[in-house]
Amino acid sequence: MLETRGLDGSIDEDMISALIDGEQGTIDRRIYSDPEIYKLELQRIFARAWNFMCHESQIPNPGDYFINYIGEDQVIVVRDENGTVQVLLNTCRHRGNALCRAEQGNAKSFVCSYHGWNYGLDGTLLNVPGETHFYRDRIDKAAWSLVKAAQVDHYKGFYFATLDPSAPSLHDYLGEVGRIGMETMTAQGEVVAVDGVQKNVIDCNWKIAVDNLFDWYHVRISHGSAAKAGFVNLRMMMPMEQMVMLGEYGHAIGGPMLSEAHQAEIDKLSDGERAEINALSDEERAKWSPRIGERRPLRPKAAAEAMGPVGVRATGHPNIFPNSWISTRAMQISLRLPKGPFETEVWWFTFMPKKYSEAERRAAMKFIRLSFGPAGLLEQDDGENWSQSTHASQGVVGQTYPHNLQMGLGQDEVLEDPSGQKRIETHVNEHAQRWTYKCWAEWLRAKDWDELKKTRSPSPTGRI
Amino acid sequence: MPAVTTESSPAPSTMGIAEKAGLQYEVEQFLYGEAALLDDRKFREWLALVADDMHYWMPIRRTVDRDNLDLEFTKLGGAAYFDDDKSDLSMRIAKLEAGSAWSENPPSRTRHFVSNVRIVDMEGDEIAVELAFHLYRSRLNGKVDNWIGKRQDRLRRVGDGFQLCRRHIFLDHTIIRSTNLSNLF
Repeated sequence: MLETRGLDGSIDEDMISALIDGEQGTIDRRIYSDPEIYKLELQRIFARAWNFMCHESQIPNPGDYFINYIGEDQVIVVRDENGTVQVLLNTCRHRGNALCRAEQGNAKSFVCSYHGWNYGLDGTLLNVPGETHFYRDRIDKAAWSLVKAAQVDHYKGFYFATLDPSAPSLHDYLGEVGRIGMETMTAQGEVVAVDGVQKNVIDCNWKIAVDNLFDWYHVRISHGSAAKAGFVNLRMMMPMEQMVMLGEYGHAIGGPMLSEAHQAEIDKLSDGERAEINALSDEERAKWSPRIGERRPLRPKAAAEAMGPVGVRATGHPNIFPNSWISTRAMQISLRLPKGPFETEVWWFTFMPKKYSEAERRAAMKFIRLSFGPAGLLEQDDGENWSQSTHASQGVVGQTYPHNLQMGLGQDEVLEDPSGQKRIETHVNEHAQRWTYKCWAEWLRAKDWDELKKTRSPSPTGRI
Repeated sequence: MPAVTTESSPAPSTMGIAEKAGLQYEVEQFLYGEAALLDDRKFREWLALVADDMHYWMPIRRTVDRDNLDLEFTKLGGAAYFDDDKSDLSMRIAKLEAGSAWSENPPSRTRHFVSNVRIVDMEGDEIAVELAFHLYRSRLNGKVDNWIGKRQDRLRRVGDGFQLCRRHIFLDHTIIRSTNLSNLF
């Protein structure tokens, strides 16, 4: 086991710093297998961060609930009688039993199946069987309500929660890059959740699954068979021009982009013309403009305004740190939920713009189904790679050789737009992964939010 | 889903027991045969048994309370693991045949078990069949997956044999415990 604590039990910050070598572009493989590191991640990342819970349309009515996780703490996300969304730890205050055993549903209250303690939808302890006879009226019910998330907030209907009262507001936590990431979900207008969250278990470390979402290097190799089968056109899917935006606290967007020239082309179009192009088949779109010929819908003017002149050109994958991948093209959020160092649950939430016609919805759903989830023609081939990478980090000799994250290291420049938006424009690269691990180490080193706010790296500038 | 029938077969009452048994035999032999094609990796031959209007669907199953059983499966049009037509299946098979389909290279070793076969409806030249399945998969040297559930298949009589025109797969699992679903059910 990696010794991350000094003799007095405090975290050894130098040891954590040594795991990530930003100058050499290497990381210590033990971050994927060490139980001590994993425990620290639950404490210092997941329990502090804002975690994605669900979309408001998944729980429209009072009593509607959806079960999610913050780290390994299970939470009930429920709309209470007043219509407020509550996030409650799913553990009875008496003996810790789970109150809710279903994945979703509607409840009038939460009754523990062990001794019958009964909690309201806002977590208030309403009733304790035997209050008079057994407890002799000596139980302070007000002190034994369910544990609530310290803060709950939403970004345009997407609910997040944090267990840390000193965490910054969701708005500040997301920062500009996180907010651009969220805006990609609503770029085509208000969305509604599609019923059903795909969930499957991969025997890999959650960080390998996060690392992969920025990885446009693996596409041609891992997913070559999907191209051979005619599902995707790799040239269109993986253009050479790539953009990376790096945000405070570890948020990032990495992947394809629209060049300024192509965006200028789009800027000339009315929203109606953009919608017409979005409705075209891939082949027809490719004729209109080979560069915009792929399946990402053109964003309307309002979205361009909300995302800014650089953000609107970023068509890659945002990650809301730590583990919420926004699949912009497919309008899905994929969580990589940690279940121990060697296991990750991958969840896929799907959203559709309300304004979509039945035909647009059907086409989008088909693309989603065939791409992602355990049966997806793209995703099928990822899991075993992640699994083998994770398990190799247990080899006592193998784990002493670091991973290589050197692609593009020191060879690019952070460009700043007059609007202040920053980005890197380059080829396929590993900037976003390096940034994620650098921030990961900062989260683990900081003993609380105040320290993290002081010590976290600002969004980078200059040579990178 | 159709109501559960306890009848061994809802075949027309004019059918005698011998005729019913013959039909049951034919249906079972077809199901065993197509399962063997999948296990023997003869995917093209399997695809040849699939009708042009095939619907191959696996909804998401969820753990729900008794009061919320209407939410147990996602409905048609909702999210699903599979919601394929024949061209989608054909693409899946083309992918399996590509050497770079890493989830199936080295190939999985599968065994499709089919049992509790009941003919639940007959209409024109179509026969609705409900059955229990167990798909076993062994991968690489130590990975084993098991999927168990109910299938609602629809067979269409074509010439001397059958074509498969519907396969709806209802798993007895909620969270999928496997790295992927790269095999056909």
